[in-house]
Amino acid sequence: MKAVKIGMPLLMIIIASVFLISSFAIPRANLGNPNGPLYFPIGLSIFMLVLSIIYLINELKTLHERNGKIQGLFEGRTLKLIAVTIALGVIYAFIFEPFGFLISTILFLGCLLFYVNGWKKWKANIIVTISFSFITWYGFSELLGVSLP
Amino acid sequence: MDAFLQGFQIVLQPMNIFWVVIGGFLGTIVGMLPGLGPATAVAVLIPITFGMDPTSAIILMAAIYYGAMYGGSRSSILLNTPGDGSAIAATFDGYPMAQKGQAGEAMAISAVASFIGGVLAVFGFIFLAKPLANFALKFGPSEYFLLMLLTLSAIVSLSIGKMVKGFIAMALGLLISTIGIDPQTGVHRFTMDIPHLSEGIEFLIVIIGVYAVGEVFYNFLTIDKVKKEKKKVGRIWFTKEQWKRSKWPILRSAPLGFIVGVLPGAGGSIASMMSYSSEKQLSKKPEEFGEGAVEGLAAPESSNNAASVGAMIPLLTMGIPGSGTTAVMLGALIMLGVRPGPLLFENDPGMVWALINSMFIGNIALVIINILLVGLLVKILDTPAKVLYPLIIMLAFIGTYTLSYSTVDYFLLLLFGVIGLFMKIMDFPIAPLVLAIIVGGDMEQNFRMALTSSNGSLSIFFSSGISITLIVLTVLSLFYPIVINRFKKRSRNGDKEAISA
Repeated sequence: MKAVKIGMPLLMIIIASVFLISSFAIPRANLGNPNGPLYFPIGLSIFMLVLSIIYLINELKTLHERNGKIQGLFEGRTLKLIAVTIALGVIYAFIFEPFGFLISTILFLGCLLFYVNGWKKWKANIIVTISFSFITWYGFSELLGVSLP
Repeated sequence: MDAFLQGFQIVLQPMNIFWVVIGGFLGTIVGMLPGLGPATAVAVLIPITFGMDPTSAIILMAAIYYGAMYGGSRSSILLNTPGDGSAIAATFDGYPMAQKGQAGEAMAISAVASFIGGVLAVFGFIFLAKPLANFALKFGPSEYFLLMLLTLSAIVSLSIGKMVKGFIAMALGLLISTIGIDPQTGVHRFTMDIPHLSEGIEFLIVIIGVYAVGEVFYNFLTIDKVKKEKKKVGRIWFTKEQWKRSKWPILRSAPLGFIVGVLPGAGGSIASMMSYSSEKQLSKKPEEFGEGAVEGLAAPESSNNAASVGAMIPLLTMGIPGSGTTAVMLGALIMLGVRPGPLLFENDPGMVWALINSMFIGNIALVIINILLVGLLVKILDTPAKVLYPLIIMLAFIGTYTLSYSTVDYFLLLLFGVIGLFMKIMDFPIAPLVLAIIVGGDMEQNFRMALTSSNGSLSIFFSSGISITLIVLTVLSLFYPIVINRFKKRSRNGDKEAISA
């Protein structure tokens, strides 16, 4: 829990620092003020850096206070649910174009539903997967004219 | 007047009426899902608008918006879990009413209150929008920059107690908006030589990521803990006595909500809270508030719907969204090639007035949907979240694909989903991030244009009455949380003194 509490401000400090350092590497402009494209990112990353440090200090002061939301993340199967959804999303990205919309979506939604909703409700999972995949495909591709693989 | 009638003609086309009804219905369903509000509803359903003409698209999006506002109060009343901030006040008395077996009456009065609030606010829109658009024509780059600054600082300040986090979210959003080719000079910024990044990060992916995927991830925290509650709906209409108690609160709350909605950063949550507390103060039976007082439900419902109409004014007249949901709508409109701002009223009055008139029809459709189809809506609400959340994830992926026809964006979608999740867990307000990403590009360009026109002198930002007013308002907005805290402390001390006396 402490890792998450400190991790977030540290991440913000890293992001702000990366933006700040990369801002100086932005090429100078040939048009108008050569430093024109730099001002905004430099100003903002310094602003974000200062605030992230204040945020870190605030978090350090309240490090021992309990945060129910962070605790919820580590309870039950929450982390697994999030990790499986992300993993399935990554697989979906790879199979979407080669397998085509319908097959890849049936596989993605089916796996996600079986994992989230449980194997006991297999009938509902199969019906929802097939019907919604088809309805979405029909809606987008036929009614709205969106070209899907 | 011609434009008004032209707008009516457009909205009365069968296809547009169809979109109003569909948008209202779908918005109601997504808005009903616990934890998901209007911003998510619009974000998830944006892909439906692609391929539509811009007028139908904006009509559909607005219908989704206020549909979700209606829907949000269904889950507040029946499950005590508001869809978003603006539906919180509906739990105070709506849920106790449902516990007393008056769920049907509560839903009917909330639908009617929302309807009256929405319709009265449309009249406000008609009177205020055009003059405000004319006024906005006086704005130059420096005024626009300052207006965006005011909107951002107001939206951060209003997330009381989270100002540091709000400003971090805002700065991060503005920094993300600088990724890509700088439109003024053609210089590549933060693209890391990845061609996909040269056009910048598509803000709709960020929106769908944080609002749809992030919200679902966040709801995974409680997905196995939600207990099903069977509610007796009872009769679906209110009694004469309930109407007598509600009518004045509804009529008083509508203008209040509308005005709060127009203000930058405020929106439905504040509008509904303000009208709830003011009605409690005005009431002869304040002790009944929180125990199922019908006016305690009717007032915020009228107010938050009026606010949702009011929020469209700065969006359409100035191109400045005042809330998370209108920011999402602005993103979608830009995608469709529509540039909201004062010139929209000159160049495309048909679209603007069609939207305004669609709000009348949409509110009528929604009150019918929400009263006649209560049974169906309650059944949908019974659909397990474990089925609905995977469907939302699927829609988010497909929506993302339709934006760029590239699955590379799926990774960005997941990344922003995780960012959204941690922002929610760590209590970061999300609206400043989203708003900043959307207005960031314009804000920087206006800032630099203003400086170019003044040969680099910052005095341009103090050169007009409008600019100075905007600066003063921005500074005041930063002090708002301090004033509120003082006020709260004083009233707490007052309470203590009263008790000890």
